[in-house]
Amino acid sequence: MDGAIAVKYVATVGNESRVVEIADSNGRYRVTLGESEWAVDVRAAMPGVYSILIDGVSYVADVVDREGACVVEVAGERYEIVVEEQTRHIIRTRGGGGAGAGDRTLTAPLPGKISRVAVRPGDAVSAGDILLVIEAMKMENEFRAAVAGTVAEVRVAPGQAVNAGDVLIVMGGGSDGNRA
Amino acid sequence: MKRKLRKLLIANRGEIAVRVIRACREQGIATVAVFSEVDRDALHVQLADEAHPIGPAPALESYLVIDRILAVARAAGADAIHPGYGFLSENASFAEACADAGVTFVGPPAAAIRAMGSKTAARTIARDLGVPMVPGTLDALESDAAARTTAREIGYPVMLKAAHGGGGKGMRLVQREEDLAEALRSARAEAGAAFGNAAVYLERAVIEPRHIEIQVLGDADGRVIHLGERECSIQRRHQKLVEECPSSFVDADLRARMGDAACRVAAAAGYVNAGTVEFLVDAERNFYFLEMNTRLQVEHPVTEMVTGMDLVAEQLRIAAGEPLSRGQDDVTWRGWAIECRVNAEDPFAGWLPSPGTITALRAPSGPWVRDDSGVYEGYTIPRFYDTLMSKLIVWGADRAIACDRMARALAEYRVVGVRTTIPVLERIIAHPDFRAGRLSTAFLERMLPAVHSNDGRHRDVAILAAVIAEYERGRRAALGAPGADGQSAAGHDPRAVAWRLSGAGTWTGR
Repeated sequence: MDGAIAVKYVATVGNESRVVEIADSNGRYRVTLGESEWAVDVRAAMPGVYSILIDGVSYVADVVDREGACVVEVAGERYEIVVEEQTRHIIRTRGGGGAGAGDRTLTAPLPGKISRVAVRPGDAVSAGDILLVIEAMKMENEFRAAVAGTVAEVRVAPGQAVNAGDVLIVMGGGSDGNRA
Repeated sequence: MKRKLRKLLIANRGEIAVRVIRACREQGIATVAVFSEVDRDALHVQLADEAHPIGPAPALESYLVIDRILAVARAAGADAIHPGYGFLSENASFAEACADAGVTFVGPPAAAIRAMGSKTAARTIARDLGVPMVPGTLDALESDAAARTTAREIGYPVMLKAAHGGGGKGMRLVQREEDLAEALRSARAEAGAAFGNAAVYLERAVIEPRHIEIQVLGDADGRVIHLGERECSIQRRHQKLVEECPSSFVDADLRARMGDAACRVAAAAGYVNAGTVEFLVDAERNFYFLEMNTRLQVEHPVTEMVTGMDLVAEQLRIAAGEPLSRGQDDVTWRGWAIECRVNAEDPFAGWLPSPGTITALRAPSGPWVRDDSGVYEGYTIPRFYDTLMSKLIVWGADRAIACDRMARALAEYRVVGVRTTIPVLERIIAHPDFRAGRLSTAFLERMLPAVHSNDGRHRDVAILAAVIAEYERGRRAALGAPGADGQSAAGHDPRAVAWRLSGAGTWTGR
């Protein structure tokens, strides 16, 4: 190990978490993932683009941060990966806890203009019902309820410009997760 | 009447403005770009000889304002205007305003735009010529009630279409009567926003047809030729994603018959310049006239690659009053070309537009690869316009070679910072049905449910990349080194190997 400090991380993809140990060794990395251990040579070819040699096999991976997760694209595949140091992961997961508030809100995934709001507070919606329509990049983008629930709040009106991340609709109690 | 074009204004933006500028450059014609407030950084502004602002970001206040564009043309001394596609390209009033201002409009006469720009009028012309058509209305729908009655008469499913549109905007497939009212509302809204005219009409939906179109060219002397077909069946949201020339479904006989029908429609409309006649073709190789697009198509490059004819150069020739460079018998087709549209959209999130900054970009190159792009590394894609970033076109001696080449080129394409259609394009090109030429407009809808953002093959590599990125971030933060975000450490040139994640001697303090 040439005196380098090994660090343990937990990488979570979907609902699967894996422990990854990494150490820098004379400019290369030694990575242990499950049973496997690799010598890895990594260079940043461009901002966010990594050239990776794993035992001589060449990969190119795009890595960008997005809302706390690492989005990696490699060979046409895309993975959203949450990487935490192992100690932090243990502390975070020990407390348990339910679904985040985000599951009950529809936030604007992109900037645009509200062209239609199909629901009002108090409305019961079924899975697949249109909640609202955002006009962006010359497209009318419909947003539908993922599952049934009741509309608690509507925070936008037709004609209103919205930014990415703005809360548009808040779903009330009842069923889980109304992310559209 | 011949007139040499000396200076041309491009009333457009994005990749098509770049395409037109390139053709002008090659012919020694000076170019004038126009740009909205958010397009100061756009590529066409950098490539043109001159560039002038025309107003705020929304197209209705800039790229669609005829007076402002003509004022720039006059002030700059432009003697011609190329409208590109979209925006004012199929606006007869614009063609007339150009003529009134003494500026050559690189496109058909206003009367031909009117005849064909109204799809309902175009259908009347085709019917009178005996060209087969899909049953439907010849007039725009006056009311929801009228739409209901007509839809019942011709039978569901029906297709709603913008009477003055194109590019799939304002189109809705309606399976059942109870969905008709909502479809009408959204189709009208989309048509109104995109074309400034909310009129829609309806026709019977042909199920799983192929969408095949014929490129035509007409000169001022009334000669009309066709350059064969383009296969455009791979669509989503009625917008084309992959196009090719020729079509594996079209033999010489069908090509001749469709070509003849297309030329007759164009001639009947008094058509001059480049245009495209669109057909639906059913499984029995019956073809039905759909509409005529009175402009250069997005997918024109596949025809160029196979015929060896530069369509924008032909447009400029025709606009200058010169005869077509080739007669029908001189048009030949060699090999196979495929185009993939690289859009800033997330195909794994409902094709949601993905505007934003392109932080890294490397386009493919190499033998027989062409990238018609309107973007560059560092460019921020604004949210006001369509999502097309680039068109990737390849040529091969036959279809199999072209498919292999496209797969290779797509794998080379790197775009970071915005989501793109590239991952789905790769899956389309690799799909057995695509490889076998079994295409229809339903192809993508059928394929998409089985398309996932990953199949787990490279999961370990992805995890490794993510962990190493995090490890470096943590170490840099601990060292207090600059560029902890991995982008600014190397100083001014982000294109150079900006910083090294590894390598002896790079790091201090160990």
